[in-house]
Amino acid sequence: MTNEFPAPDPVPGPVAPLRARRVVLPPARQRAARPRSVRAREWIRQNLVPSPAGVLLTLVSLSVLIAVLGVAAWFTFSYANWRVVTDNRWLLFAGGFPHDGEWRLWVAFGFVFTLVGASYGMWSSLGRRDVLFMVPAGLFAVFMLAHGDAALWSTLWFLISAALLAVAYAAFRRIPREHGPTRTLAVRALGPVLALSVPIVFLVLMAGGGADSDELSGYLLNLLLAPAGIVGGLFVGIPLAIGRASRLRTISWTCTVYIETVRGAPLIGWLFVALFILGDIIGGDLIVRTMVVLAVFTGAYMAEYIRGGLQALPRGQYEAGHAVGLPYWRTLQLIILPQALRISIPPIVGQAISLWKDTALISIILPLRELIGSSRSAIAQGEFITNRIEIYVFAALMFWIIAFIMSRVSQRIERSLGVGQR
Amino acid sequence: MSTEQAASPAAGAVTSTSDDMIIVEHIDKWFGDFQALDDVSLTIREHEIVVVLGPSGSGKSTFIRCLNRLEEHDSGRIFVDGIELNDDVRNLNAIRSEVGMVFQQFNLFPHLSVMSNITLGPQKVRRMSRRDAEKLAMQLLERVGIPEQAQKYPAQLSGGQQQRVAIARALAMQPKIMLFDEPTSALDPEMIKEVLDVMRELAESGMTMIVVTHEMGFAREVADRLVFFDEGAVVEQGTPTHFFENPQEERTKLFLSQIL
Repeated sequence: MTNEFPAPDPVPGPVAPLRARRVVLPPARQRAARPRSVRAREWIRQNLVPSPAGVLLTLVSLSVLIAVLGVAAWFTFSYANWRVVTDNRWLLFAGGFPHDGEWRLWVAFGFVFTLVGASYGMWSSLGRRDVLFMVPAGLFAVFMLAHGDAALWSTLWFLISAALLAVAYAAFRRIPREHGPTRTLAVRALGPVLALSVPIVFLVLMAGGGADSDELSGYLLNLLLAPAGIVGGLFVGIPLAIGRASRLRTISWTCTVYIETVRGAPLIGWLFVALFILGDIIGGDLIVRTMVVLAVFTGAYMAEYIRGGLQALPRGQYEAGHAVGLPYWRTLQLIILPQALRISIPPIVGQAISLWKDTALISIILPLRELIGSSRSAIAQGEFITNRIEIYVFAALMFWIIAFIMSRVSQRIERSLGVGQR
Repeated sequence: MSTEQAASPAAGAVTSTSDDMIIVEHIDKWFGDFQALDDVSLTIREHEIVVVLGPSGSGKSTFIRCLNRLEEHDSGRIFVDGIELNDDVRNLNAIRSEVGMVFQQFNLFPHLSVMSNITLGPQKVRRMSRRDAEKLAMQLLERVGIPEQAQKYPAQLSGGQQQRVAIARALAMQPKIMLFDEPTSALDPEMIKEVLDVMRELAESGMTMIVVTHEMGFAREVADRLVFFDEGAVVEQGTPTHFFENPQEERTKLFLSQIL
C-alpha cells in the first residue's frame, strides 16, 4: 500500500542527521520542486516495472487484484440483497436497546466524538487522510442509525457530534506542544476522563431508567466490551509487569503464576468461567462479569508485552533516577514506565485488535448477543434466511473498520512518540 | 582521627564537626564468588578532589557506586556528610540528594527534553516550583555552556553535550559531593576536552569530587589526591607529584608505565 510519507528523494546535498528525525520530518516542499510528470514516471518505473521479473509480478498481481475487485463488485452490486442489513440495522447496531432511549446513544456518541477530537488535538493532528476516512465513516454511521421518522434527528445529532469533535480538536490543538503548566493541566484533565470513558458511557446508557443490561446487544455491545477489556487489561497488566520484574520473589512468583495460568487457557474457556463459575460464586451482571474476564485475560498478555519494554531499558535509567534522588516508585512512574510503555505500544495495540475481534466469541457461549449474535437473529427471522453471506460480510466489514482505525492510531502514536528513535 | 570520629556515632546520623565529607571504613563487596572490594578504607575531606585510578576490573567503579548505594557494600561502614549509608531508606534518600553522579553512558532520560531532565530532580525531590527549577536549569546550562539546547531532546545532542547536560542535571540537586564514573570514556576524543573543562571549572568552585578516569592530564592537573586501586583494594595513594614522580608500589609503577 502507499506510505503516509513517501521516502525523501535521494537528492544529494546536506542530509539531515538521523538523530534529528524526531522533530524534523522531511518537508513536503522539498519534493514539490520537481514536475509531476517526472515524479509519476519515476514512481511507475520504481514501483511497477523495475525489471523483467518485476513486470511479470506486476502483471500477475494486477490480474489477481482485478479478479478480486471484480468479484467483490459483482457481489456488492449485483448478487447481494442488502435489505437484510438495511431492514435490520437497528437490530444489528443496537440490538434490544429501547427506541425511546435513542438520545442516550447520541449523548454517548457525542461524548466519544469529543474525546476523539480532544485526543487528536492533544497528541496528534488531523491530516487529510484522517478526514477522508472520517467523513464516509460518519455518513455510514448516520445511515445505520437513521431510523424511520427519526432520520432527520439522527442526522442532526450526528452533525452535532461531529461539531463537538471539531471544537474539542480545535481547543486542544491550541495547547502548546512543549511541556508546560497548561499542558500538564490538560493532561490531568483529559487523562482520567479517557481512562474512565467506558464506565461513563455505561452510565449514560443505563443510569436513571435507561436500558437494562440485557438490552445491550448488537454492535454496541462489541463497542462496550472491547474498550473495557483493553483499558482494564492495561490497569491489570502494568502492575503485573512491574510485579513480575520485582526482586521480591513472592511477588514475582505470584504474578508469574497469574500470567501463565491465564495465558495457558483459551479465551473461550475463561468466558465459560465468567458464565458459570463467577456466576455461581459472585453473581452480578453478566456483562460486567464478561468485562472483568476480558480485562483479566488481556491483562496477562499486556503484562508480558510491558515486561518486554521494561527489560529493554538499560539499567542506567534506574540508576540515573536513583542518583537524582528519586525513590523507587517515583523512578518507575517518571522514568521507567513512560519509556517502557512506548516500546510496548505496537504489541499492545496488536493485542487490542485481537481482543476486539475476539468479542465475536461472546455470542457463541454466552447468552449475550453482540454483532454476530444479532446477525444470527436477523437471519433467523425467516425472510432473510438465504442472505447469510451478506450479513456476515457486513459484520466482517464492521469489525474491520475498528481494527483498521486502531492500527492507524497505533502508527500515529508510534510516530509522534518516536518509538525506536533512541 | 577520622576513624575515631566515625566509630563513635552508633545511631547513624551524626553531625560531623570536622571537614570529613566521606568516611569509608573497611568495606567489602562481593559479586557472587568474585570479591570486587577488599577491605577498602578511605576518608575524603570537604572540597577535596580525589581521582581514582586503576586497571579495569580493579573495583574503582564499584567503589564510587557504593558511595550513593547504587551498589550495597556487604560489610564495613560508609558515612557521607555524617549520615551512615545503611538499609534506612530515609538516610539513603537524604544522601542521594546530596551526592550527584555522572555516568559513563550519560544516562539522560531520552523521553524528556534537556530542560525536563534537569528540572525533574529539583521539582520532584526538592519540591521546587517549576519556575525556580527552570531558572536554575538555565543557569546551569549557561555554566556548562549549552543554554541554547534547553528545548532539545538528548538524542539530538552530541556525546559531549549530553555529558554536560548530565553534569547540569546532577548539579541541579545542589549536591555537596559529585561522583564521576569514567565521564569521558564513552566520548569521541574531540569532545573529551569540553567535558573536562566543565569538571575543571567545577573543581575550582570548591566542589568535593571523586572522579574515576583514565585522563592522566586531568588527574595530574586537578586532583588533590590520587588513589590507585587494584584487585579491589587501595594499593597506593598520594598527591599527583608523589604519584607520577615517585610511585612506591610495583603495581602502581607497572600501571603507570602501561598508561602513560
